[in-house]
Amino acid sequence: MASLGQPVASVRTPRSGILGTPMSGYFAYIGRRLAQFVLVVFIGINLAYVITHATPIDPVEQSISAVTSFGNTAPDAIEQMRTSLRELYGLGGSPVEQYLAFWKRILRADFGPSMSAFPTPVATLIGRALPWTAGLLAVSTIVAWGLGSLLGGLAGYYQKSRGLKLMGVIAMGLHPIPYYILALVLLIVFGFLWPVLPITGGSAMNLPQTLTFDFVASVLQHAILPALSLILIGVGSWFLGMRALVSNVVTEDYVVYAELAGVRPWRVLSLYVMRNALPPQLTGLAISLGGIFNGAVITEKVFGYPGVGSLLVDAVYAGDYGLVLGVTTVSILGVSCGVLVIDLLYPLLDPRVRVS
Amino acid sequence: MLAETTQDYLPDEAQPILSVRDLRAHFRTDRFGVKRDVKAVDGISFAVRRGEIYGLAGESSSGKTTLIKTIAGAVRPPLEVVGGRVDFAFLPGYGGLHRAPAAEVARIRWRHLSYIMQGSMNVLNPVRRLRSAFVDFAYPHIGGSRKQFEREVVAHLARLKLDPSVLAAYPHELSGGMRQRATIALATICRPEVILADEPTTALDVVVQKEVLGMISGIRREIGSSVLLVTHDLGVHAHVTDRLGIMYAGRLIEEAATAEIFRNPLHPYTRHLISSLPRIGDDVPREGLEGAPPNLADPPPGCRFHPRCPLAMEVCRRQVPATLETAPAHRVACFAVNRSEEA
Amino acid sequence: MAGILRDLLRYHAEFRIGAALIAVVLLLSVLASFSPYPPQDVYVVPPDVPPSLTYWFGTTSRGQDVFWQLTFAIRNTLLFGCTVALISRILALVIGLISGYKGGWIDRALMSVNDTFIVIPLLPILVLFYFVMRDRMSWLLLALIMACLGWAYDARLIRSVAMSLKSREFTQSSLFSGMSTREILVQEHLPYVMPIVFSTTMNNMVWSIGLEVTLAVLGFTDINTPTIGGMIYWANQHTAMVAGVWWWIAFPTIAVIMTFIGLFLLAVSMNDYIDPRSRLRSFGGAS
Repeated sequence: MASLGQPVASVRTPRSGILGTPMSGYFAYIGRRLAQFVLVVFIGINLAYVITHATPIDPVEQSISAVTSFGNTAPDAIEQMRTSLRELYGLGGSPVEQYLAFWKRILRADFGPSMSAFPTPVATLIGRALPWTAGLLAVSTIVAWGLGSLLGGLAGYYQKSRGLKLMGVIAMGLHPIPYYILALVLLIVFGFLWPVLPITGGSAMNLPQTLTFDFVASVLQHAILPALSLILIGVGSWFLGMRALVSNVVTEDYVVYAELAGVRPWRVLSLYVMRNALPPQLTGLAISLGGIFNGAVITEKVFGYPGVGSLLVDAVYAGDYGLVLGVTTVSILGVSCGVLVIDLLYPLLDPRVRVS
Repeated sequence: MLAETTQDYLPDEAQPILSVRDLRAHFRTDRFGVKRDVKAVDGISFAVRRGEIYGLAGESSSGKTTLIKTIAGAVRPPLEVVGGRVDFAFLPGYGGLHRAPAAEVARIRWRHLSYIMQGSMNVLNPVRRLRSAFVDFAYPHIGGSRKQFEREVVAHLARLKLDPSVLAAYPHELSGGMRQRATIALATICRPEVILADEPTTALDVVVQKEVLGMISGIRREIGSSVLLVTHDLGVHAHVTDRLGIMYAGRLIEEAATAEIFRNPLHPYTRHLISSLPRIGDDVPREGLEGAPPNLADPPPGCRFHPRCPLAMEVCRRQVPATLETAPAHRVACFAVNRSEEA
Repeated sequence: MAGILRDLLRYHAEFRIGAALIAVVLLLSVLASFSPYPPQDVYVVPPDVPPSLTYWFGTTSRGQDVFWQLTFAIRNTLLFGCTVALISRILALVIGLISGYKGGWIDRALMSVNDTFIVIPLLPILVLFYFVMRDRMSWLLLALIMACLGWAYDARLIRSVAMSLKSREFTQSSLFSGMSTREILVQEHLPYVMPIVFSTTMNNMVWSIGLEVTLAVLGFTDINTPTIGGMIYWANQHTAMVAGVWWWIAFPTIAVIMTFIGLFLLAVSMNDYIDPRSRLRSFGGAS
């Protein structure tokens, strides 16, 4: 508690920054969040390194044989692949040299040429796919979180409402269903039973990828099913989370006090209840980003959506190590960035953020 | 500015501002097949006069917090009012805030009846600045332009020795004492006729306690509000209250002017409470009462105190003692006391 | 703990439904021992037969009886979930209790690492793992890896329970009476921690089975051991949907949904029971 220890009788001016916390506290907070970000990325990429070096077989030769099994790769191309892979795998040289070579490549975002789409660099492939995934994830996450929190908040406050109770039951049914199953169900429904929406691809094949109205409309149309798949499950989870939070917040002294003071119910609901339930709900979002990303991967594959998820899966089928490692690295980085952004937004909602 | 309320009752000195008659409020639960009926408030009657500070004393399980909640109209399941009435002079007729229509309740709340809650730690919205509390609670009643309102708030805060800058602060940035002052400022700005104060000094250090009590007396002086002050701390009662009611196990067992209670306690429980207070120079060893306060879900029949009472008689086990005015302005609910007075 | 379960069973509808669903699923997995066909064998019955009296859930394009395959699949899937849950419980309990009880820099260090594992998207890591392991991948290995990656969320929950227990009075009196840290943890704290462990176990199983199904569907696991995800994978390989063999996909899907909803309801009702405020809230007044 930020007590400045001055006698009560005298007057004290709290030194508030714009965001309500002492400025020094906010900077310390940012520092800690950045440090955590770096730690996550560091551990994650090291994990990838450990995994790739835990294998007992020579991965380079395995990858090369998988890719060249079609028999139509030029010899110097094979050599290029081999060098690139050896460096990426960090083979050759002492363990320390391997480790450093690995990290050098990662930091340059140089994953070598993609073997399944030789000689296109992995980085280019990822660059093409990333906007699709980012767009899909951003939209579905924001919609699901926003809508779920709103409805869940109402359900937690108006506990007698039958409509909201019913929504609660539906949410309970949706929340535990794995993303794959729902995607499959939607695929079956809209692919076979009621084919009104496109079930594969990111946009119509014949449209050029420029910002024309047709293209944008097509993108949106193709995004509906994957987004719906992610949103339905997300709304269920966020609904339940917010409802539980709000149910606890309504018992807090400041809510009871405001109600006793005659503050109007809708005002209490929005400014006292929801406002106080949002910070932990936001934290929940940060924690779930990894899981949402996992869901996006499988959803993309089911609907053939051209994001990094599909890229990852196809890369595994094709034995394209550079691409797999590249997507893994980018995912770790991306999710960590998402978490960092949320962490930085958090003090806007909760001014109690302190220098622990 | 604050408008004068139009009242359709006589501003009569003798008429109480708050009158509680035979109030019964129980907690009723039914979970996992177990039904419980906790009789937290079981037949309480008293009245608070204008401009009076009336104290309610009792242990933790005496039902005083439930009583305050019921009077304030904070009655939600599992709490139910099962009998009796609560009448305010400014809200005649309904028998309690919990029975009045929403429009009336909104009119009353904060403008005529305000509340100082236990432990100012958590009564202010942690994610919004203090100013928002004043705007939310008081502005609807005071009205006028926002600038004017803010000036009034600042002036009011100054009376409580609070700097205007606290309005821009978040609750966690204020010390405990400042928060309590702010809460008192909040509760008094509309000049309500009745203020319910539930343990306003608990969890505060002694210096701050003294200041808060000073503020509460000051309220009565400057605004003329009546205060219903609930605390287990008899020292606090001795300091500020005019009259004092003693609660035990959901019932009011004694009521008199505060000085009288301390000088001449009649009910065995009260006598024990008073005698257990430390006095400078008095080193007689204190004795604890046997037993423990009763379980309100299954209270003893008759007088609730009889299992622990040194004066218990047969009738105490069978009948509930009536609250009789044993001495002038001194009510007691005890067969032993009342009989001896009769005799 | 047994008393809690009995109470929940008697009075909590959600718990009953969850228990019923899980009972059905368990029954199926037990039946696997009575299967007339070994699980790995193919073409033991005529393929692509719709559900009928002889073949209750129909047969697959690989000539297997869907019902009996499902019993093995459920059993393996459940075993997988239990294994992951067990190992990660141990990790979560150890880390959570140490972190919560010791506090200080140990707590901060452990929690920083903990939060790392919460944030990292696990699917790409597991995919990478499969990529390098290929045919050496077995479900036991996968279970081990997932347990080593999946303890983080629950460790935090257990830690907060430990922290609140640490400051409670009975811990102080135990300390003063001379109990060792280990004794305090086991004898005093564990009974409070158990209900949380129960509900987190259910959640953990939902998570691990979900991840396993996802991986299997993509073919990224040992596809010869029948699991729910594996069945769906093979169904996709044989384009079951297009070929109209809907029962091959439908029944495993229904089974896994039942499992998930069942586990989830068990976890939720246990959480409800633990949290006294939710208990109080469900009192709507006397009857």
